[in-house]
Amino acid sequence: MNCLIRNPDIVWRVEKRREEAIRQAAEAGEDVSDRGTVILMISGMMHQLNLVGGEIWTLCDGSRTAEGLIDALAGEYQVAREELSGDVAAFIDDLLERGWLRHG
Amino acid sequence: MADTITELFSAPLTFNWTLSFACNFSCSHCYSREEVAEELCTADIFRIVDVLAEKQVPFINFGGGEPLIRQDLFAIAAYATSRGLNVSMNSNGWLLDETAARRLKESGFKSVGISIDSAEGALHDDFRNRPGSFPRAVAALDALAAVGLKSTMSAVISRINHRHFRDLLQLAREHGVGTVYLHNFKCSGRGFKNREELDLSPEEWKAFYVEALAVQKETVDLDISFDDPVIASLPGYKENPLVKGSSCGKLSLHLRPDGDITPCGFIPLVVGNILRDDFDTLWYDSPILNKMRNKEATGKCSGCGAFADCLGGCTARSFAVTGDFCEPDPHCWK
Repeated sequence: MNCLIRNPDIVWRVEKRREEAIRQAAEAGEDVSDRGTVILMISGMMHQLNLVGGEIWTLCDGSRTAEGLIDALAGEYQVAREELSGDVAAFIDDLLERGWLRHG
Repeated sequence: MADTITELFSAPLTFNWTLSFACNFSCSHCYSREEVAEELCTADIFRIVDVLAEKQVPFINFGGGEPLIRQDLFAIAAYATSRGLNVSMNSNGWLLDETAARRLKESGFKSVGISIDSAEGALHDDFRNRPGSFPRAVAALDALAAVGLKSTMSAVISRINHRHFRDLLQLAREHGVGTVYLHNFKCSGRGFKNREELDLSPEEWKAFYVEALAVQKETVDLDISFDDPVIASLPGYKENPLVKGSSCGKLSLHLRPDGDITPCGFIPLVVGNILRDDFDTLWYDSPILNKMRNKEATGKCSGCGAFADCLGGCTARSFAVTGDFCEPDPHCWK
């Protein structure tokens, strides 16, 4: 298994109330790609992940491979699997490069 | 101007937690030395930890009072750590020998801050009203280093040290400290009573920050932190803080020994009690917190170009001196 797991040194939190508002905005057709639902605190700096990024982050608990993540997201987002795979792979690569994710 | 950042956060990032107002020191600037509050038993403190864990508050920092005076500090920290909280504390160092340092590490503390106000031992001892406190504070830093627990150093900038802060930075380097907090002077408690003697004039504050920010910029082996919103009014200041103005009530809250919540340790206004009240209601709906989060420019802040960045400076200082959150920070030099 080549499962993905979050760097345990990173402190993070799902902003639940904000996530709910962003979901409602997304359902109403608004562009929510720049609105954060998950905050990460890394070396005194705060970073935010948007709705999809936050979901991927939350799912990276060491029990799923990249394919497993795509399976989990595919049922929720109405996009072609190929497109979803490309977006997820690019996001994961970025986080692996930053050291925020690891292969477990 | 309203600062909307609190709409984004479901809870504070940090709770500054005074477990006890009891202290073995009697410092000239202390905000809390003359405060009195009933202390909670360990079981109730664990209940508070449960609330903080449920609300996903990531950081708690024990202050006081001297945290090491409470015998159950280690058990509290261990429990908080087991619930996923990141625990740190500030201490005067008197009780922190290598045995205590090891117990702190084993309890899960991520870092421990030691208060040192002058690199001159006699001056520190005099300020802290406790002969021998300087060598014990320095020994505490060494004890933390010996057990591999991250240390920080805190100094309250006042008339005794504002021209000699570089000596504090050097002291930090010599004792394995990674971060030095140069705290701004607060006019609360004894700090209010002694402010004529200890506080700087606005012009002196400006001169201090201009110099200290230049040192911060050229320093690579130490993190130097100020956390004073009034700095944002300096020309050319480009730091981008998580929130503008005071972070109290936006990113952090303070817990008193009886579970009462105040916006910060320096503002003695109780917004509710963490064991008796619904936390979300307090966090989102407290009139006190919402007034702090939505300050309006008054006095010389009206029309000032810096207000959008500093939001009137330190709310605690304004409140202590004028009784009004929205009055300009008395340290403001503009």
